[in-house]
Amino acid sequence: MKDLYTMKESNLKMKDQLREESPFPWIQYVTSCYQCQKCTSGCTSMKHLELKPHEVVKLVNMGLIDELLESETIWTCTECLKCWERCPQGAAPVNLILSLRNLAVKGKAKLPENLLKTVSSLIEIGLIQREQRVPLKNLETVDREKLNLPKLVYPSEEFKGILLSMLEEVF
Amino acid sequence: MMLNMKVAVYWGCKISTSQYSYELSLREVARKLGVELVDIEGASCCGDPIKGLTDLAATYLSARNMALAGVKGSKNLLVPCNRCHLQLSLAKEKMKREGIYSKVNSLLRRENLLFNEKLRLWHPVDFLHGYIGLDKIGSMVKRNLKGVRVAVHPGCGLIRPSKIGRVDESENPKKVDEILKVIGVETIDYPGKLDCCGAMLMYLNRDAALTLAGEKLKAVQDLEVDCLVDTCPNCHEMLDFNQSSASELTGEKISLPVVYLTQLIGFALGIEEGKLGFQLNRSPTEKLLKINFKRVLDGKVKG
Ligand code: SF4
Ligand code: SF4
Repeated sequence: MKDLYTMKESNLKMKDQLREESPFPWIQYVTSCYQCQKCTSGCTSMKHLELKPHEVVKLVNMGLIDELLESETIWTCTECLKCWERCPQGAAPVNLILSLRNLAVKGKAKLPENLLKTVSSLIEIGLIQREQRVPLKNLETVDREKLNLPKLVYPSEEFKGILLSMLEEVF
Repeated sequence: MMLNMKVAVYWGCKISTSQYSYELSLREVARKLGVELVDIEGASCCGDPIKGLTDLAATYLSARNMALAGVKGSKNLLVPCNRCHLQLSLAKEKMKREGIYSKVNSLLRRENLLFNEKLRLWHPVDFLHGYIGLDKIGSMVKRNLKGVRVAVHPGCGLIRPSKIGRVDESENPKKVDEILKVIGVETIDYPGKLDCCGAMLMYLNRDAALTLAGEKLKAVQDLEVDCLVDTCPNCHEMLDFNQSSASELTGEKISLPVVYLTQLIGFALGIEEGKLGFQLNRSPTEKLLKINFKRVLDGKVKG
């Protein structure tokens, strides 16, 4: 089978692999999807970004996975989890979308810039951002110390080493 | 009566590096209720922001933070961020799979840690509602806010997916409403209550994310409530800190006080506003404190 718009070939083996190897056990049931579109009707990212989770599920079930891995679509989900909650078949499209992202990253997809920043902060300090100074109403800025909050204890060097080696495996 | 109990707390990145009003108000409320919060030192990110990149690393991060709580000997862990609470709960489910469990545990052992599957996770919402109890909170109210009307934003991670057990019901959450009722506050139901603030989209598409936040804020503002109440630093950043950007982007005039549940509870328990971090909210909380609250409190402060 071939997608006549993109000329991509269907790869059903890849679909099985995706289901078996996904770190999200809940994607087992994607094959039970009967295209009722309940997921899409309540999808947060449908309105502004035209994400249609039922189409993602359909494409996966047809084996058109390469096509999805290369598309922006999988990077528009806001993880509101409504589709997981409401799917009558337990197909939980959000888990499929996250699985596809994991796969795309392995395949060296270009990451959104803000996510890259987050990853580099994680590698550096183990948190997504450093302690920020925040403004008061009079625009004076304060930090934890000024607010009498306990000093932040950042994670150990040893931990950061382990995390770095894990991230290096994928990137 | 003082309860005098100790509970470990995992703050996560957002609260401990920028959303200080949540940390301040939760610490104050806990102290008032006789709960000693024990910080986990050396905790890292929970993994939620990177689970779309490499879920194994995300699960490892969650498991490690839960293991650190175990080192402190705690059976209970308070997790005030909706996203962290969700991510830790998901990781507990994933760790039931042998393949993941053994990979993650072997990494944990390198720091002499062990995964702690028995750890019970709490969010301030079920902690206040179920652990402390509504009667206890009610008995300590110093400033009854009868006459104040608010809308609640539960946030996605608090209520979905029910499949793995969440803090409140997915389609009809009411714990926050019930807690607020105890301090006299009236909550109203509204059509977009279960809708998302857009926070996770900030990593991917800032304009779309802020548009979602702006739409939610506008809808709530139209209800003519005194404020919007939330329970998550990610939601709060969108609805409070980013309110003016959301307002600009959507072209709507938005000026809506947005406060943490713990700030409101703390206020009702008689804690001074400055200690609850109201000065850190970007949204117009002065309007809330000086006009809306004053209106109902005049002559009603029990002391
Ligand atoms: S709600 Fe479930 S069954 Fe219905 S289209 Fe979406 S994934 Fe398929
Ligand atoms: S989790 Fe993603 S795909 Fe599912 S409804 Fe929300 S935005 Fe749409």
